[in-house]
Amino acid sequence: MRRTTTALAAALFLAVGVGACGGTGDDDNSDKAAGAPAAKTGKLEPADLTLWVGFSAPRELRVFKGAVKEFEKLNPGVTVHVVGGISDDKLIAASRGGKTPDVAQSFSADNSGAFCGSGAWIDLKPYMERDGISDEIFPPAPRSYTQFDGTRCALPMLADTFGLYYNEDMLKKAGLDGPPKTASELTEYAKKLTVKNPDGSLKVVGFNPVMGWYTNTPASMGPMFGGTWVDDSGKSSLGSDPAWAKFLTWQKDLIDFYGYDNLVKFQAGLGDEYSASNAFEKERLAMHLDGEWRTAFIADEAPDLNYGTAPLPVDDDNRDLYGGGYTTGNIAGIPKRAEHKDQAWALLKFLTTDDRAMVMLSNGLRNVPTTESSAKSPDLKPDPKFETFVKIFSSDKTTTTPVTAAGSAYQELFNGFVNKWQAGRVDDLQAGLDDIDKQIDAQLANVEGGQDVP
Amino acid sequence: MSLAPATDRQRRPSVPADARRRARKKAQWRRRMTVLAFMSPWLVGFTAFFAYPLVSTVYLSFTHYDLLSPSRWIGLANYEYLFSEDKQIWPAVYNTLWLVAILVPLKVMFAFGVALMLTRARRGIGFFRTVFYLPALAPPVAATLGFVYLLNPATGPVNGALGLIGIEGPLWFNDPGWSKPALSLLLLWGVGNTMIIFLAALIDVPKQLYESAELDGAGALRRLRWVTLPAISPVILFSVVIGTIEALQLFTQAFVASTIAAGSASSAGDPSNDLGYPEDSTLFYPVLLFQQGFRFFNMGYAAAMAVLLFVVSFAITLVIVRNSRRWVHYAGGGT
Amino acid sequence: MSTTTPALPVAATPPARRVVPRAVRRRRFLIGVAEHSLLIATAVAFIAPLIFIALTSLMTTDQALSPRIWPEPFRWSNYTDVFDQAPMLRYALNTMIYSCGATLGMLVSSIPVAYALSRLRWRGRDAAFVLVLVAMMLPPQVTIVPLYVLWAKLDLVGTLWPLIIPNWFGDAFSIFLLRQFFMTIPESYLDAARVDGCGELRILVTVVARLAKPAIAAVALFMFLLTFSDFFGPYLYAGDEETSWTLSVGLAQFRTLHQVQWNITMAATLMVMAPVIVLFFLSQKAFVEGVTLTGVKE
Repeated sequence: MRRTTTALAAALFLAVGVGACGGTGDDDNSDKAAGAPAAKTGKLEPADLTLWVGFSAPRELRVFKGAVKEFEKLNPGVTVHVVGGISDDKLIAASRGGKTPDVAQSFSADNSGAFCGSGAWIDLKPYMERDGISDEIFPPAPRSYTQFDGTRCALPMLADTFGLYYNEDMLKKAGLDGPPKTASELTEYAKKLTVKNPDGSLKVVGFNPVMGWYTNTPASMGPMFGGTWVDDSGKSSLGSDPAWAKFLTWQKDLIDFYGYDNLVKFQAGLGDEYSASNAFEKERLAMHLDGEWRTAFIADEAPDLNYGTAPLPVDDDNRDLYGGGYTTGNIAGIPKRAEHKDQAWALLKFLTTDDRAMVMLSNGLRNVPTTESSAKSPDLKPDPKFETFVKIFSSDKTTTTPVTAAGSAYQELFNGFVNKWQAGRVDDLQAGLDDIDKQIDAQLANVEGGQDVP
Repeated sequence: MSLAPATDRQRRPSVPADARRRARKKAQWRRRMTVLAFMSPWLVGFTAFFAYPLVSTVYLSFTHYDLLSPSRWIGLANYEYLFSEDKQIWPAVYNTLWLVAILVPLKVMFAFGVALMLTRARRGIGFFRTVFYLPALAPPVAATLGFVYLLNPATGPVNGALGLIGIEGPLWFNDPGWSKPALSLLLLWGVGNTMIIFLAALIDVPKQLYESAELDGAGALRRLRWVTLPAISPVILFSVVIGTIEALQLFTQAFVASTIAAGSASSAGDPSNDLGYPEDSTLFYPVLLFQQGFRFFNMGYAAAMAVLLFVVSFAITLVIVRNSRRWVHYAGGGT
Repeated sequence: MSTTTPALPVAATPPARRVVPRAVRRRRFLIGVAEHSLLIATAVAFIAPLIFIALTSLMTTDQALSPRIWPEPFRWSNYTDVFDQAPMLRYALNTMIYSCGATLGMLVSSIPVAYALSRLRWRGRDAAFVLVLVAMMLPPQVTIVPLYVLWAKLDLVGTLWPLIIPNWFGDAFSIFLLRQFFMTIPESYLDAARVDGCGELRILVTVVARLAKPAIAAVALFMFLLTFSDFFGPYLYAGDEETSWTLSVGLAQFRTLHQVQWNITMAATLMVMAPVIVLFFLSQKAFVEGVTLTGVKE
């Protein structure tokens, strides 16, 4: 047995050695520095590029392939291979080993903090300076969710904005004029438009205030009251910003009108958000918060629905906020180990700043284009209902959620709290909010490396 | 290594002492080589696929690691956070221990009960056996989806059937008090593997033991208690230990169920903003670990959580195995 | 539990059956029904969700997402759509390579280990057994991180080898189960073989393996099924290499950005489960009609 024990010990010793190196996951720093980009020449060196996107439906991939073909025409010798269905998990794994794309796209703007902060995606500033591209071509919100801590490692590639959808037939029948513009109007309308079944359960709900359902989240609804997530010092401000308490109190009042359990049961019986049985499309909801993509779905699945779109109603005491909303979007960047960075940059630049490409992508995928010039382009498919969202996107009152090193941790922690609040399990709202702030700050400190453990 | 029969030994002249010693040593050496040969693949595997990740994980637990950049040593900061500041740990620990305390015994008893029923059935054994095993073949995601839809509080057939007999069904996966029982139903449904193992064990029990017990006048219940259970006790131990380890690592079904029940059936599998829905009742330790490591870019902390889980699993298993000496009976005569 | 028939004195007439009192017969019948009815009820409860999955596979996309139970109309074309949308045969081949490779490797490496842990005597055996158990206690979410780096260094990412190779070095679950079964084999059998001059390997192959056939069939089946439906492993290591995709990875692609096509996914799921069900049917013989030790024990 001694021989075996020695062998085992030797193997373990080896394992420790390998483990210590392997755990860091970053031995082959082939091209660590962001690198000075090559001097700008007229033509690009021929190369085979790979583009990883999160979209997976054949219809969606076709849109990308179309845009990419335009790029190939402009740059003969460069071919682009589009791979779909890539999740953030794969992007993160690829940064540790294995194949990596030349350009990568992610659906989670929340993760740009990690990608930029760690250097997993390269800093694009040198390239932008070389080619004379200023980040002012993007509105302030997407500008902020594609950079972190001074490093700009991503560019926005199509965005989502959220607004109010309302069923015009139902409003007219109840004698209500136009979309509600303030929170109290929203409550009043919601109550008037609600219809109950003979047995007391809910048949049609005027407006469902429960968060965690469909697109209702603190992130998308917070802008109604102008709540900010962090204060100037970077600490979580859910408790210190009175807007949140105000918002949550308003929301709970509306929930109590329906009864929380009744709403949960009602929700469970609704069709899936992305099916043709969507609650708003099936007229189980009179008013509904949703993103700009819903216009395309309605045109496809419920073309006879008589509806309108408008910005979200806002706090009665803060009517200036009206016209804005929440926006977030896709981000795209160049992974550190990409082989052909110059060509990758050219492709990235094309897809995110070229008007033609932007319009192609926007028309094909029905998301909001992310440069100010493409938003005004006459080639955008005309649609007054979609226009609302483009306007919201360009509004200076529109905000986005802050980027942190911990992805969407703070949002998920707040979601947990909000769920408890909605169910009526929180007695002291202010104390609860202060507590959540502390939790978020502690979590962030832990993620950032335990340097500022309070 | 052969034992010469006594008669031969008498006839042959006695073998000198050192020759005997040499023969014994040779036999010992041969035995050791056999053991080594049989164990060697596992030794390599254990080192490469367990010891190495374990050492790596322990190392990572003392670092800050976001999966994207090199790890950075931060000493005990992760453990400090784990034991004193992370508020989410408590529901996670409670939920996982709930599974160990409640689901594991249920699962073992249910699997045993079903297997027992199968041995007694006279007709259609093959059919029943297949029916009970089929759910274990369903991929976990599809099975979870099926169950969440079945237990839908508003439109699911279960609540519909309950309504027909006048009972208002609970909100199942949408009710914090019912979500774990609902999950337990799903996991019990997939108990086919354990049932098959019990079935194999039950069939292996020698019929003579039953016959002699019957002759001694033992009724069915006594035969169960004094013949069946001891005879299959090694397998009971196996199910309890494996069940415990699986309960401590439950991830997929909880993850998928909370996502679907929270209303995002169409995007099941995407990063969910509602892990643990409703109200942290389905937030199990591995789910929290996954969230910290892969969603919050906090892999160092996730490693610390893993180390804690490892230690706890080890302790619990040790207790079970130690305790098993009292009630596990190996017919072959070992321990 | 059979009744004995008393022999009749005259050879010509056939033995008459003893008359079982009606009350006893009825009682036995009722017990039989009771036992079977419990079985039947449980079976119904077990099969209901599967029927639901089957019904979902025949719905249109929207019906699948709505709370409906009964499809209308029955879209049998979902099953052919599966093939249109994905090269299922290539995925099936990859899956077979993975599952068979892993199962074979597991058997070859785990059976000797289980034998050594149960029927050979050596110092450190109990400690080794504990180590086998311990290997199952690290959650996969953390083991994959350093293992992925290891495979990347060996340049095997993009293939299924990182999934197959570890099984050639023993699988803790299988070792544990086999060990428990081997422990029930009486020492006397093995001693008899040893007396005859058999080496341990020979004993293992000829005596033990045959006696523990149900257990071996069980672990082989479990490993096969586990690898067959494994999603995260193939996705992580071969996700960007479509030629290496397995069926489970292929299944997950029936989705658009916003929507999973559950009806086609369910259809594909059932088609994937079908060969597995067949395999289970076929292996039942090995399983349950395996050698029992009746009448051979002392």
